[in-house]
Amino acid sequence: MSSKAGSKQRKGRNEERLFATVAIVGSLVFGAGFSWLLFAMNSRDETQIAPAAANSKAAVIAPDHPRQLVNFSLTDRTGRAVTQSELAGKFLVVDFMFTSCSLTCPAVTGQMAQIQQLTTNQPDVELVSLTVDPRDDTPAVLEKYGERFGADTNRWLFLTGDRTDLYNLIGTSFLASDTNNEFGFMPGNFAHTERIAVVDAHGHLRGYFDGLNQNAAADVADEIAKLRNSNP
Amino acid sequence: MKYLILCCALLSVQALFAASTNGDQSTKSYPARGVIEKIAPDLRQATIHHQTIPGYMMEMTMDFNLKNTNEISGISPNDEITFTLVVGQNDEWIENIHRVGRAVETTTNKIIRTSGLSGVMMMPELKSGDLLPDYVLKAEGGSQIHVSDYRGRALAFTFFYTRCPLPDYCPRMNNNFAQARKILLADASAPTNWQFLSISFDPEFDTPDVLKNYADVYRGDDASRWSFASAPTNVLADAAGHLDLMVMRQGNGLSHNLRTVVLDPQGRIYRQFDGNQWTPQELASVMRAAMQEQTGIAQ
Repeated sequence: MSSKAGSKQRKGRNEERLFATVAIVGSLVFGAGFSWLLFAMNSRDETQIAPAAANSKAAVIAPDHPRQLVNFSLTDRTGRAVTQSELAGKFLVVDFMFTSCSLTCPAVTGQMAQIQQLTTNQPDVELVSLTVDPRDDTPAVLEKYGERFGADTNRWLFLTGDRTDLYNLIGTSFLASDTNNEFGFMPGNFAHTERIAVVDAHGHLRGYFDGLNQNAAADVADEIAKLRNSNP
Repeated sequence: MKYLILCCALLSVQALFAASTNGDQSTKSYPARGVIEKIAPDLRQATIHHQTIPGYMMEMTMDFNLKNTNEISGISPNDEITFTLVVGQNDEWIENIHRVGRAVETTTNKIIRTSGLSGVMMMPELKSGDLLPDYVLKAEGGSQIHVSDYRGRALAFTFFYTRCPLPDYCPRMNNNFAQARKILLADASAPTNWQFLSISFDPEFDTPDVLKNYADVYRGDDASRWSFASAPTNVLADAAGHLDLMVMRQGNGLSHNLRTVVLDPQGRIYRQFDGNQWTPQELASVMRAAMQEQTGIAQ
């Protein structure tokens, strides 16, 4: 009697074990398949976005909503008036700086300088640095700053002007604002001024790169090459 | 086994849902409302101050493209309209435009609605003659002070933080204050209704004790007419717009610009010194002039 009961119990346990194994293996297979499906669909949606793989590449950060280069009229460091029309049809690499910023801005500008080098023979690429502190950053001040980084006057614009005009351009075409930032205070409350933005030849903002990432320059250059090939 | 089938079924249903939301490559439409500010001569673009477009963007002024220029015929600036914003893969445009009214001129309040700033209200920059808000600060002794406590005197204030590592930034500001104070103290014929105030934008580290020790290095034995204080975050947020001050915490350091302001005895902006190129002599002479402004307060 006891042995009969024992074998029944064993049989029951075996069934349970089998069911558990099948369930685990099954859900693993389906889980993996399902994850792959989601991943595949996501990467189809955001073809330009590098997967968050374990490499050191700076991933493209997608814009918060579609943004486009708006009309503007500003002044570059040589004192020349610059409007959006002279940038039409070019890939733009845009960063946001102020010359009295001692900590992060020089690092981001350093990446811009590298991008200038990496795109030396690419006349369809133009670099644009927008100051967020136009009261201090006059053309003369920007000229000095640009020289420090070997900026080529023909390919790398440093733009300043009326605060309202500048902030309209930055706020509309590039950066979101963050009014609750307890660690940063600036007139326009811009978020992520450390980012480098890439604009395509149609004036559409295609994405940002973290300008504090050491590989930002190489990644921006890659991104432009990719955009150029996909959208001749 | 039953469970397994159920799981499969659930997963496939989920996958289907995911596909229908993620896989949609066509355009999206958003109903919107706003006021026409400008229409391009070729009728291909309209500048519209639109209200929040739910699920898409906050209130702002923006240029919108028109695919069908007939849509805008009969519409003129200042017309209030409803429209549909269509967002495609590579472009966006508006259509389905209907005039619903005429915008009423509103009296401008003290807040500038800067077009395109994602609806952010920006404090206007103060100009000469504008009254500075009565900021409340934490003084070196630990007590609260109001900027208005110094009414009746010309007041020069600047911003700094004690850990500032760059000699030509914060230390230069306080060195300039030290020298300008010396000039004014030495001038026996000058009026005596003046005051200096150094304001730290690092209130967490620059406690009243830290400030006092730092201040004494610059003031020496004589602490007269020069106070040190720290600004809480709400003051910094306000000063950012009003005084065009910029402060960003980055690690243990701060990236910031330099703003030095002289108020007249009534607390109005008399002069603003940007950056670090001004001299103690200039500051002293501006202070002398500011002291002469009508005090408005019975002495």
